Amino acid sequence: MDSDEELDTVPLSRRPEWSDVIPLPQDDGPNPVVPIAYKDDFRETMDYFRALYRADERSPRSLLLTEEAINLNPGNYTVWHFRRQILESLEADLFRELDFVDQVAKKNSKNYQIWHHRRWLAEKLGTDAKCRELQFTRRILSLDAKNYHAWSHRQWVLQALGGWEDELNYCDQLLEEDVFNNSAWNQRYFVVTRSPVLGDLKAVRESEVSYTVKAILSNPENESPWRYLRGLFKDDAQSWVNNSQVSSACLKVLSVKANYVFALSMLLDLICHGFQPTQEFRDAIYSLRASDSDPPESDLGKAICSVLQHVDSMRANYWMWRKSKLPVTM
Amino acid sequence: MAATEGEEEESPRFAPMISFDRDRHVTFLEMMYQLLPRPYQTQEINRLTLAYFVISGLHLLDALDRIDKIVVANWVLSFQAHPRNKDEINNGQFYGFHGSITSQFPPDDNGVLVHNCGHLASTYCALAILKIVGYDFSGIESEIILTSMKNLQHPDGSFMPIHIGAEKDLRFVYCAAAICSMLEDWTGMDREKTKIYILNCQSYDGGFGLIPGSESHGGATYCAVASLRLMGYLEDNLLSKVTQSSIIDVPMLLDWCLQRQASDGGFQGRPNKPSDTCYAFWVWAVLKMLGGHRFIDSRALHGFLLTCQSKYGGFSKFPGELPDLYHSYYGYTAFSIMEEPGLKPLCVELGITDLSVLGI
Ligand SMILES: [Zn+2]
Repeated sequence: MDSDEELDTVPLSRRPEWSDVIPLPQDDGPNPVVPIAYKDDFRETMDYFRALYRADERSPRSLLLTEEAINLNPGNYTVWHFRRQILESLEADLFRELDFVDQVAKKNSKNYQIWHHRRWLAEKLGTDAKCRELQFTRRILSLDAKNYHAWSHRQWVLQALGGWEDELNYCDQLLEEDVFNNSAWNQRYFVVTRSPVLGDLKAVRESEVSYTVKAILSNPENESPWRYLRGLFKDDAQSWVNNSQVSSACLKVLSVKANYVFALSMLLDLICHGFQPTQEFRDAIYSLRASDSDPPESDLGKAICSVLQHVDSMRANYWMWRKSKLPVTM
Repeated sequence: MAATEGEEEESPRFAPMISFDRDRHVTFLEMMYQLLPRPYQTQEINRLTLAYFVISGLHLLDALDRIDKIVVANWVLSFQAHPRNKDEINNGQFYGFHGSITSQFPPDDNGVLVHNCGHLASTYCALAILKIVGYDFSGIESEIILTSMKNLQHPDGSFMPIHIGAEKDLRFVYCAAAICSMLEDWTGMDREKTKIYILNCQSYDGGFGLIPGSESHGGATYCAVASLRLMGYLEDNLLSKVTQSSIIDVPMLLDWCLQRQASDGGFQGRPNKPSDTCYAFWVWAVLKMLGGHRFIDSRALHGFLLTCQSKYGGFSKFPGELPDLYHSYYGYTAFSIMEEPGLKPLCVELGITDLSVLGI
């Protein structure tokens, strides 16, 4: 609770402007299950809310009351719904309503109702809301770059209202701040596959592969760019197998001999999809074997699984299973 | 439910315990059953969901004798929305269960309950609780629930949770599928459309996002796979049937799920996020449904979960924090999948005790 709420402690029952309203008390029934230890102001506010909602009083004071109820109970969708009905009846200034949501979202940025309300407002305001919504989500994401609601809202804004022009730059900026931010990688994928500004994924694929390989080589233990790289070739495994940037990225990581689990994993998938490794790949993989005493497995897929079984021991059973499922001829 | 994650941000340090402390968990849930502490007032709109965590949790812990089943059943039934007459079933409202008392209104002078409307998550929780306490489902007017539920499905196959409008995503697709499954009647949804929506949510990395285009997420992935299972689109133990092609990309999904086990043994909901108790259930349940649960390191997971077990009973989100109901429940379900002695077996698709095993 923040301080401006604490100041406002006059109970509704002692405020003259509410004297004509008879609060509608909550009926918890004879044997309530999981009753909640409500604070008095919570109970009282909801008693007044119920009275106004049932009377369908769409007035300025009702609007104020929904604000108090939302501050106490931001998840209550009935309160939010009533607020929207009041806003419509009063033909209220919806930009001012955005200010209100800005305030509530500061404390409750992970509340579904706030985001639904925000979307309702943006739908009503149309393209006038575009810049403000993009800024709003930027602000929330500057506090928590992985806020799922903010990303969903932002994707909706882009699709419904536009604003794609700067989105790839925004992804660049976030990934520069934190290259491990998987939400930013996902947004990048969203942009390169859906932006009307960029066109077809194939048109940007080569430059995206270069960008991603650079990120991989500086942090080969980062799962996100590996997944993104594979995603760039979704439904086009042949191009993935044939892409020299992809296989040489794997080889470069292997030759450093550190943090190579994802590189081995991708190489295994490549081989399963028909990639023909050269002697260079064989040498790099054989040099990672735990012990030189065992005879090297001539099947490269099996050799990779054996290394993974050892270095990724948490998933040893998985790699063992993968070994048993390898295609017969390599 | 993924919908109700909410926890207090305080973190006194507790020394991790060496084993699953069933008795403390029973005591913790009994206390919650009697009275939920004040911080839960912000989740009041999901009161049925909170009750579901407590009652289903007691059931998993084999301690349902601590509650009065008839009292519980009658209390749950008091949340159901009823139409005045048959014609009203098609007026756009959803006649399921609503979630809270604060938004419950007494009937008007004509005996009409206009303001109470059903919510999919609350309806899922209500039916689950009624199953658990052994309520006779022939007493439930399932046709009213299912016919009116169709109004919540959108042309793209997604569901909104309530007829007055709200976000549409995989959570409510799952609730709708679980409701149809529990009522053993699929007239409440267009299954083909629902399937297409779910498939559109599979992301480039193999996991599922809550809506098409969203980042893969453990909870969303559970909702997707469990729904497809309940709807009959994914067969048992998919991985053992290598030649079988599936409607989803199983190899990528499997790899994505397995990678969610982090080096501390716990599961994360998304890549490069910290481990969190609840994903032990969401992600592991997916692996279990695919037949890939044997590929994870269950000892390491066991160890992580115990660092989240509170000395007061219950589980916290992260190690050493105060427990909350949501994470406690998904801690219990995870231990049930691990076949912890004293816990009942779980139906992973429905997220409650496997009632068929118990012969109910
Ligand atoms: Zn969690």
